[in-house]
Amino acid sequence: MIEANHLSRTYQRGDGTPVTALRDVTFTIAAGEFVVIRGASGSGKSSLLNILGCLDTPSSGRYRLAGEDVSVLPDDERSHVRSRRIGFVFQSFNLLPRATAVENVELPALYTGAAPDRARARKLLERVGLAERAEHFATELSGGEQQRVAIARALMNDPPVLLADEPTGNLDSAAGESVMQLFTSLHEGGRTIVLVTHDEQVASFADREILIRDGVVASDTVRRERSPA
Amino acid sequence: MSAQRVVASAWRSLARSKARSFFMMLGVIVGIAALTALASVGEATRQETLRQFKRMLGTFDTLTIRPGAGSTRGMPSLGSVEPSLKFPDGPAIAAGVPGVKRVALVQQAFDLDVSYRDATTVPLVLGVSPNWADVRGESVASGAHLSEEDDRSLARVTVIGADVARVLFQGEDPLGKVIRIADVPFQVKGVMASRGAGPGGASLDNMLVVPVSTASKRLFNRDYLTTLVVQLNDANASDRVAEDVRALLRERHRIIPPAQDDFTVGSPRATLAQISKVGTTLSKVVTGVAVIATLIGGAVIMSLMLIGVSERRREIGVRRAVGATRADVMRQFLVEATLISALGGAIGILIGAGGATVGALLQKLPPAYMWSMIGGAVALSVAVGIVFGLYPAWKAANVDPIEALRS
Ligand SMILES: Nc1ncnc2c1ncn2[C@@H]1O[C@H](COP(=O)(O)OP(=O)(O)O)[C@@H](O)[C@H]1O
Ligand SMILES: [Mg+2]
Repeated sequence: MIEANHLSRTYQRGDGTPVTALRDVTFTIAAGEFVVIRGASGSGKSSLLNILGCLDTPSSGRYRLAGEDVSVLPDDERSHVRSRRIGFVFQSFNLLPRATAVENVELPALYTGAAPDRARARKLLERVGLAERAEHFATELSGGEQQRVAIARALMNDPPVLLADEPTGNLDSAAGESVMQLFTSLHEGGRTIVLVTHDEQVASFADREILIRDGVVASDTVRRERSPA
Repeated sequence: MSAQRVVASAWRSLARSKARSFFMMLGVIVGIAALTALASVGEATRQETLRQFKRMLGTFDTLTIRPGAGSTRGMPSLGSVEPSLKFPDGPAIAAGVPGVKRVALVQQAFDLDVSYRDATTVPLVLGVSPNWADVRGESVASGAHLSEEDDRSLARVTVIGADVARVLFQGEDPLGKVIRIADVPFQVKGVMASRGAGPGGASLDNMLVVPVSTASKRLFNRDYLTTLVVQLNDANASDRVAEDVRALLRERHRIIPPAQDDFTVGSPRATLAQISKVGTTLSKVVTGVAVIATLIGGAVIMSLMLIGVSERRREIGVRRAVGATRADVMRQFLVEATLISALGGAIGILIGAGGATVGALLQKLPPAYMWSMIGGAVALSVAVGIVFGLYPAWKAANVDPIEALRS
């Protein structure tokens, strides 16, 4: 499903000096895997996830998603890849504050050309346990609730891959626990999940852990055999 | 995204920040309201001017022939005009030019004292042929018009205007009374219905008429005319008839070009065309001012949109992350700007038209709306939204989603 081949990413600092955030990163993630990418702050996790999520392109190397080299696609086609094949979950939730929960969940459907499907958005909110919060504004929800709305949003276009960047980073442990439980059950439902964290506790939910240190893959460990999809 | 959903989503976004949306609209509202109001007031004034001229000129299916070459300014008077238009010219035109219905003859002067007992006034005195009232569409409030018999018999009878009746008779019934025109006694045969105000608001009722034969022989002692009023069968044929009339008069007056004509043929339509043109010039100036106001409104939209784009970077990042293309984002902001501006334009038109209506009613004029201008205002406000929304929308489309989403 996901093939990273010798990915590197070098940024240009404000003063022009280059910063290499990723160096020769190579791994393959099969469909249905639940993988955690773990590393210290600044180790390059977000840089990697942005490339996997088609928000960014590698400075060198190749990235294939479902067999297609998406790193060479033009900007608007990468938008379409994000729209149909990837669901994003962020550390800071990133809900639209002036929209209700159900409107936030519906958002990705705006960019598919399909007819609006509020019923599906409601069903997804039910799936994450927030059916009765559908008409609440994002700002009226707790952090844990906001993150579950964000997960429902990521599922709106039914993408095969979910990418999450420190999804529990802004949550207390109880809320974090319930969010991780949700990811686990989504994984059991067959979705490929790649989750970035610096937290070993969180990492323990995944089947496999890729450890990143200073932009390099330091280890790639399978914790438990893939559960049957 | 379908157009309908783009608009619906832009509408939601605007509705959620009402204060900002209002301030964005304000400039366009003011500009478009000014445009609509000024244009409509201008139009009401122009229409009123036209109505005043129409009242002065009487009907539109006429040509006016005056002695002398070129356009004479002001009112011709017997004492000051060339003696070139003669009585027989009238019947000759009526008989000799196809398309002419009838010709009224006029001798006019406005320096004669008119008195009744102790009261004196100096109205416009017209000697007119009996068909004059019909040609001009004048009616009497009381008594009767001048008749063929009055003219044939050189009767000393007069039909007086409403102002003259008021000044000389002060409520007394004028019918049958004898007034003196330049010391010649005339019996009042009728009182004309009020003709209202002419251009500039001056009264058209300070006048009286006497039979033109009587005027010629017993009052002025002149055998020439100040005006021939030619009534046409078809108002649309005025250009051709005017040309035929000129040819006939040249022949009768033995004028061989390049010698100058000793008469001038004017048509109310030409005069009105002139007035309309003046109105157009005025409205151009007004339009310019209001367009500038609207453009300033556009600049306000642009700067507030730019602030909005930087405040909504995160929203843009989210939309891009869930699949919006640059074009989607661009379209969203462009539609928001256009919607704001068009909405401002619509409110501006309502306010402007309302203001113009109040203004017209205060001036006691029937309100008029310049629809072409209002249509232009709608187009302008939409165009302003698009043009001034382009740069902010482009900015929005180029927000880096990674940057915008970084926590
Ligand atoms: N846009 C950028 N410009 C310059 N340097 C960047 C940029 N984004 C990330 N970096 C640098 O790249 C390195 C990796 O960052 P990041 O991928 O965010 O790490 P993590 O998510 O593991 O904390 C850091 O040193 C960071 O400062
Ligand atoms: Mg990070």
